[in-house]
Amino acid sequence: MSNHTHSHPKFAVVGHPNKGKSSIVSALSMDDSVQISDTPGTTTKKRSFPLSVDGKIVYELFDTPGFQRARRVLAWLEAHEVSADKKQEVVQAFIDTHKEDERFRDEIELLEPIMNGAGIIYVVDASKPYGKEYEAEMEVLRWTGQPSMALINKIGESDYSKEWKKALEQYFKMVRTFNPMQVDKAQHISILESMAQLKEEWIAPVKSSIKLLESYYDQMIDKSAYLITRLVYESLTFVDKLKFNTEEASEEDRKKIEKNYKEKLRGFEKRTQEKIEHIWNHDHLEIEENILTFDGMDLFSEETASIFGLTRKEMMITGITSGAVTGAGIDLLFAGHTLLLGGAIGAVVGGVGAYFGFDELSEIKVLGQNLGKRFLQMGPMENRNFPYILLGRNLYYTSVISHKSHAKREMIHINMDSTFKDKWLDDDLKKSLEKYHKLFRSGKEVDAEALKAYEALIKETLKKLIDSQEK
Amino acid sequence: MDLKSYLNLFALLENPPTTHEENRAFGLSHQALKQKPVKALMAWEDSYVSTLPQPSLGERFSSYLYGTTLILGVLAFILGVLSGLALLSYSGHEPVNVIYFIAMVVFFPLLTMFLTLIAMMRTKRNRSLLVHISPAFWMEKIFSLLPNQTQKDIKELKINPLLLNWIMIKRSQILALLFSLGLFIALISIVVTKDIAFAWSTTLHITPEAFHAFLNTLALPWRELFPDAVPSIELIKHSQYFRLGDSLSKTMIDNASELGEWWKFLACATFFYAIFLRFLLFLLANFGLNRAIEKSTLTLPGATKLLREMNEPIIRTHANNEESVFVPSKENYEQLVHTLDASYDMVQGWAIGKENLVVLNDSMQIITPEFFEVGGSKSLEEDNEILAKSHGEVLFFVKGWEPPTMDFIDYIKELSLKVDKIIVVPVGTAKNNYKIDTSAVDVWDRKLSQLHEPKVWLKR
Ligand SMILES: Nc1nc2c(ncn2[C@@H]2O[C@H](COP(=O)(O)OP(=O)(O)OP(=O)(O)O)[C@@H](O)[C@H]2O)c(=O)[nH]1
Ligand SMILES: [Mg+2]
Repeated sequence: MSNHTHSHPKFAVVGHPNKGKSSIVSALSMDDSVQISDTPGTTTKKRSFPLSVDGKIVYELFDTPGFQRARRVLAWLEAHEVSADKKQEVVQAFIDTHKEDERFRDEIELLEPIMNGAGIIYVVDASKPYGKEYEAEMEVLRWTGQPSMALINKIGESDYSKEWKKALEQYFKMVRTFNPMQVDKAQHISILESMAQLKEEWIAPVKSSIKLLESYYDQMIDKSAYLITRLVYESLTFVDKLKFNTEEASEEDRKKIEKNYKEKLRGFEKRTQEKIEHIWNHDHLEIEENILTFDGMDLFSEETASIFGLTRKEMMITGITSGAVTGAGIDLLFAGHTLLLGGAIGAVVGGVGAYFGFDELSEIKVLGQNLGKRFLQMGPMENRNFPYILLGRNLYYTSVISHKSHAKREMIHINMDSTFKDKWLDDDLKKSLEKYHKLFRSGKEVDAEALKAYEALIKETLKKLIDSQEK
Repeated sequence: MDLKSYLNLFALLENPPTTHEENRAFGLSHQALKQKPVKALMAWEDSYVSTLPQPSLGERFSSYLYGTTLILGVLAFILGVLSGLALLSYSGHEPVNVIYFIAMVVFFPLLTMFLTLIAMMRTKRNRSLLVHISPAFWMEKIFSLLPNQTQKDIKELKINPLLLNWIMIKRSQILALLFSLGLFIALISIVVTKDIAFAWSTTLHITPEAFHAFLNTLALPWRELFPDAVPSIELIKHSQYFRLGDSLSKTMIDNASELGEWWKFLACATFFYAIFLRFLLFLLANFGLNRAIEKSTLTLPGATKLLREMNEPIIRTHANNEESVFVPSKENYEQLVHTLDASYDMVQGWAIGKENLVVLNDSMQIITPEFFEVGGSKSLEEDNEILAKSHGEVLFFVKGWEPPTMDFIDYIKELSLKVDKIIVVPVGTAKNNYKIDTSAVDVWDRKLSQLHEPKVWLKR
């Protein structure tokens, strides 16, 4: 007899093979390492998914293999027919007797957590018709005497939910629908609330689990905002150098430094996106690429600029450029000025790169030192539009990742237009952001407070964006 | 919080010696520091600094910094003494002009202190001109030309400009202070060892009264305390000196004994302007450097992450162990049937009711003398009865959309002992006119591959 109820709430997700048990567990535990496939019998061992805070388990979810020989189990149980209060003992006896029996390996795996006090979450696929063959397993579950609920999943298009509900209501007090492929915070929480109803003692601990989950979502948004902040800061302040030995920097050298510079920035973005995937627990898949690709939409492409960037008009209106021509002119002057200061520490101005326009990233400066070592230098980023493009892309990335169910294993291909910009960027935000972009570009030391303030802006934006996409 | 711990923290964060869990445990055991991020980082640094290879980066850098500052300091002091001696060199023929000395101990310090204050306000600049013109910076540059192992380490270390600027400012103050001390000592030792006649002289037309008023103002900070250290109007009148030929004015010679009195004023001026004010500025620079270190601590790469790991509860939702990767079998079943015969000895349906079997037979135009439901809601005994009756060629319908269970496999195995041939036919739902997707049949295909039973065939 082992019916431990004193510890944290436990839930065993059980059912017929291939009905999406693992998908549901994967979604609820935000674990993308769970094995999911369309071959029945994918899961062969029970597996625990604890929600823990600082190592203390608050509730525990179990993924289990599907029933393989339910009729045989039921036959054994019924052969030991006893009074209702002894039924659990018979189930335990079944487990004890068949520990070594290969035939009942799957059943024992799935019954064990239940006999250890887990509530039952019985999963069915309502896109397939109901059949009487399900009764044996539901009957076996009833023998365990544990509180239970049914979860209707829909793997295919057809809908047999009505007949399923009718049948399930014979066995389960609570029947709910759940789609593991599309879970947002609200659904996640609501399903937990239902689970809490299974047992009086579980209501409080599950409530605190919900609180934890909320702060977990918050943490993930926090961390993403931090990464995006670092990305913008590092990309805007990044300076690349290329040594050259000839008298004049060749066109090739100029092309090369531009290529290197862009490559570095692309690398920054890619690494940030990988880290964001990691934060949202989307990094266990054995795929080389990030799970979300911009489909060859390069960071520096026209397409990117037209979707994520501000238009020249938008920039003018918010005073981001103080008139295209004079703006560039002043910058050129200022660049000369800083170089002059550089001169004081041993560099000599060799020449100033081309006049940069709206599309240019950063002028290429030539720095020559007395000892014949000469450099081409590119950066910090001077293009006013670039930070908005970078922000747009990565806010978008994060919001998509944050909504991707962990049960969904395909890559996401995006398909979007420039309306995304309107979802996150308004004039006020533009003005606040611009202040920091200007600071980042200036080459001045940026202190922690400024970065924190920028991060707060990003976080707020991200939160709004993610919330607005929940339905 | 000093430069050494800052650098050690930097080195630790580059290669953190702790796990997320350890950091959280640290945070929980240092709850009081939750609102004091800099202190928390320092406490953490303190706990793990021993894991750094010794001598640690911080130690190496601060001893390097200490070493260079010491050498430069000694040089500055010697320079101060020598300058003092030169300014006060007294041949015995000509009096020493105090104007030079006053310029050196009052105006020069005031000017450089003013520039320092401006530099302090501009420490955020990447390249601050005012820092770069400081001798402290240039001496450093010259030093860096000497071969030295530490030099190499230090060059690789990218200290942020804010800190570097403050380090330079603070060091400039130390050097200036030592230089002034040199001047002061030179003054005192000359006064003690020689009898000097001081005088003042300028090309500008300044009356002794104006000069007195001016000196009186300079002496403001100490004139109440040491009234003697303010030159009187008489002394000023007596010690005015005009370069007219080689002869000294008669008044000067008459009051020669008085002329030495200047030293008190010079000593006080040196002490107040060149030493005391400079010392205040040094304190300010020290404060500024500490503030800069604190600020920079928070921008160290990894610091934010570390603080977050300390202060935020670790919430985990995923499994603790790895699951072995599922590899679907690639086997294909070889015993396939593509068209069904017109009649079979028996038809059986796995969890398919008799009424449905009738419909199925009809739609597939199968003629059979007997048909039975097995599996599903039937009991094992009922299945056994049907097994006992089974013979010949059996057409075996299964719900194609359902996964094949081991219960099914058990039955098929038993059945194959009784009959000559079993043809498993996965069918679709009635809604779909019993048509079934190939992907669903594939599942049955793979399952039967594991069975290796020559009597069992699959309809595809
Ligand atoms: N479209 C869709 N597919 C789903 C859904 N739930 C599960 N699937 C798919 O159904 C298949 C089976 O899902 P699993 O989660 O592996 O099912 P399982 O019950 O754990 O299966 P076993 O471990 O084999 O018993 C996988 O291919 C899933 O991608 C759903 O809600 N929608
Ligand atoms: Mg599974």
